[in-house]
Amino acid sequence: MKERSKLLREPLLLATVLVIGICLILFVLYPIVRVFTYPTLKDFVEVPRNIRYLRAIRNSLLMVVLSTSTATFFGFLFAYTVTRTDVPLKSVFKLISILPLFSPPFMVAFSYLMMFGKNGLITAHLFGLRVSILGWHGLWLSETIAFFPVATMVMEGVLQSIAPSLEYAGRNLGATGFTLFRTVTFPLARPGVAGAALLVSILILADFGNPIMIAGDFSVLATEAWLRVEGWGDVSGAAVLSSMLLLPSLAIFLIQRYWVGRSSYITITGKPSQVEREPTKWFIRWSLFGFCFLVSVMVILVYVALVAGAFVRGWGFDWTPTLEYIRSIFSRSPELIHSLSFAVAAGIISAVFSITASYLVSRKRFPLHKLMDFICILPAALPGIFFGIGYSIAFTRPPIDLYGTAAIIILSMIFWNISMGYQTGIGAFQQISPSLGEAASNLGAGSMKIFRQIEAPLVKTSFFSAFIVSFIRAVTTLSVIVFLTTSSNAVATFTIMNLVSDGFYGKAAALTTALLLIAFTVLGLAKLFIGKRMELFKI
Amino acid sequence: MSKLHIKIDKASKSFGPVEALKGVSIEILRGSFTTFLGPSGCGKTTMLRTIAGFYNLDSGDIYISGRLINDVPSHQRNAIMVFQDYALFPHMNIGANIAYGLKINKVPQEEIRKRVARTVQYLGIEGLESRSPGQISGGQQQRTALARALVMEPEVLLLDEPLSNLDAKLRMNIRAELRQLQKRLGITTIYVTHDQAEALALSDQIAVMSKGQVIQIGSPWDIYYKPKNMFVADFVGTANLVPGIVTEKNGRAVTVDIDDAKLRVDEPNLEVQPGEQVTLCIRPETIQLSVSEAAGGQNSLQGIITNHIFEGALVRYWVEVGKREIIVDVFDPSDKGIFTGKVTLSVHPNKVHVLSSLPQESN
Repeated sequence: MKERSKLLREPLLLATVLVIGICLILFVLYPIVRVFTYPTLKDFVEVPRNIRYLRAIRNSLLMVVLSTSTATFFGFLFAYTVTRTDVPLKSVFKLISILPLFSPPFMVAFSYLMMFGKNGLITAHLFGLRVSILGWHGLWLSETIAFFPVATMVMEGVLQSIAPSLEYAGRNLGATGFTLFRTVTFPLARPGVAGAALLVSILILADFGNPIMIAGDFSVLATEAWLRVEGWGDVSGAAVLSSMLLLPSLAIFLIQRYWVGRSSYITITGKPSQVEREPTKWFIRWSLFGFCFLVSVMVILVYVALVAGAFVRGWGFDWTPTLEYIRSIFSRSPELIHSLSFAVAAGIISAVFSITASYLVSRKRFPLHKLMDFICILPAALPGIFFGIGYSIAFTRPPIDLYGTAAIIILSMIFWNISMGYQTGIGAFQQISPSLGEAASNLGAGSMKIFRQIEAPLVKTSFFSAFIVSFIRAVTTLSVIVFLTTSSNAVATFTIMNLVSDGFYGKAAALTTALLLIAFTVLGLAKLFIGKRMELFKI
Repeated sequence: MSKLHIKIDKASKSFGPVEALKGVSIEILRGSFTTFLGPSGCGKTTMLRTIAGFYNLDSGDIYISGRLINDVPSHQRNAIMVFQDYALFPHMNIGANIAYGLKINKVPQEEIRKRVARTVQYLGIEGLESRSPGQISGGQQQRTALARALVMEPEVLLLDEPLSNLDAKLRMNIRAELRQLQKRLGITTIYVTHDQAEALALSDQIAVMSKGQVIQIGSPWDIYYKPKNMFVADFVGTANLVPGIVTEKNGRAVTVDIDDAKLRVDEPNLEVQPGEQVTLCIRPETIQLSVSEAAGGQNSLQGIITNHIFEGALVRYWVEVGKREIIVDVFDPSDKGIFTGKVTLSVHPNKVHVLSSLPQESN
């Protein structure tokens, strides 16, 4: 009661809560509900009888187990090497483990097709092998390389937050080298490893870009859903398949967030102490170095292939250098302009929306604010394919028909990305003492004035971080927009997918290179202006 | 017993541009309790960690029992450390924490059981073995950390501000216990703190440090009553530091002119000459305060009380004497009441300590 009456006294606050609330219901909850209500019950019941569905489920599970294991393992070794050892080139490894986070997720698969495919530069032309990378093993490799950076990032944070005195204590009491790792470091990092693995598994489960390009006939849930629509026009089938994606994804997400999050051993001691590490044994040092070096080469190859591919007339058969593809993306590529303008619009709106929502939730008490918190975080658990099919069912027919418009693409990009900005915002507001706002309120400022004059300037950094993350995810996403794209609102990632499947590697490579250039430029500019305070990918 | 146990010779250590230790030398006797005392950033923790073997010296040597240990790894030094944040392993219960070192060193299971049982009993933490570190109180965590070190039966016990995370009352209790325990076990103990009262209460020997150097080494008594310079006098306890000029010297009797008055000093082995500028160190509790103006005998000064605080056991007065403010502590005020207005201060000549030179910085 008290909460409600307080809200009524501040009309602007009330209006903001209402707008945010209605948007969340309309653009997050409604599409989710539509995915489940669009197919009939019969469509769900028939799942166990459909061999293609069963195969897709089995394949998805297999890939989640395989790729999560390797990506987490790679990620741990990288994080351990960077934070705990004295190998050379550490800063290079660190940079390389960050790059893929800001690149289109399908890029790895595309690039490995060019390098290791049937007509690949390395397999066919360097070694003269007639092998095909298409299939589950190619997918396994691509997903491992594409997603281990996420695990690295999470575990670097975990390893760094282990109080150095714990490892010192272990050494002092007699544990050295591997014994220390086995009895202290690893057990302390274990909740972090579990968290990283769960996070990676969500991404792998939802991965659409890699399987669509490199898995060949090996279809997983995400690609099978796409094929239902593309091949049979069976939207109900796609909805059923993607809802099967959602449930495990949501479950893993909730476990990760509420269970692992709580059991972590992260201790923050006020006193940052100088840490002098024990020198790593030579064979461990060089094994880790060798491992990180090889993985780094695999990452660098991705970019080399893409850039090279953009300048070669016919990859695999005609190696004449050409500028034709680069020129073509400037002259006749509305999709690149679309990508850029949609992502800018989505990034700005998403940042404003999510920071405002985080302000409301962390600073204001109003009815259902816990629900608002949950809906804002929810999109992080939604596979892109699921979200896309939800939008396509909800917003391409009356009462809301946005078929073929820019609006539907932009809206999907906005709301798919609000979780990242939202969580960054929550973190920022937690760090700013509420007493600042209370002081202003004590001096006579109303809610919105406090936000504008006191707190907004302090969360500027979070706003930019939110924008950058939303922008980069929007410009590189394929899964979300794949169901929403028509010829009039096509974006670059969609075109690339079609070009790759038709074998036009040159133009696809040129377009991907352009996307990368855009993403890295924005990232570089942000680094330049915001610097170290920038917090990207808060998960 | 009183044999040299640890010798540190010109120890130096830098972290990048920061010189944490600048040629620290000290000798520590077997079974003694030595404290490194100083403000934060003075290098005391670095010294301790270097003895523990976590840092390597840039130059200088450390000997334990006559053995040069510069390159001996931490766990082979038999010098076990208790950390400021206790560093209890959060993934192990209390029992496992205490047994950790023994287990790592492959002590037989039965022996581990016995030693852990003995230690927890000794420290009064029986029954907590199956709890996790997060489930016990700060004082219990502190004892667990101590138990984990003592169970190793170390030759040297290293304590890094182990009491700083406890509340004031508990700190006083554990302080007394710790001293008793150390005496009983006779372990050579090195303690690090910024709390001068703790250092005075616990130690056989105190090394006062500032900016990476040892300023003075001595017994708590010497450190308190015979501080070597203004830094030590000011850091340890409260001191009235009064500048003046030596006007007369007659054996151990010296007269010092402090602007508006002359103070007699009676201190053995004073090496000052007439005309020399000195600083006098007078502890607040050594000054007599009386309301009768007639007491104008030797070493007495007239002043006006400007402020006071009542601390229970004592009343602390701020007395304006000429242009100077003198702090005076009057113990047991119960039947004297609170003084105000004009007062006479007097101090016995042998309670005035002459600091060897003028305001001197630690480096």
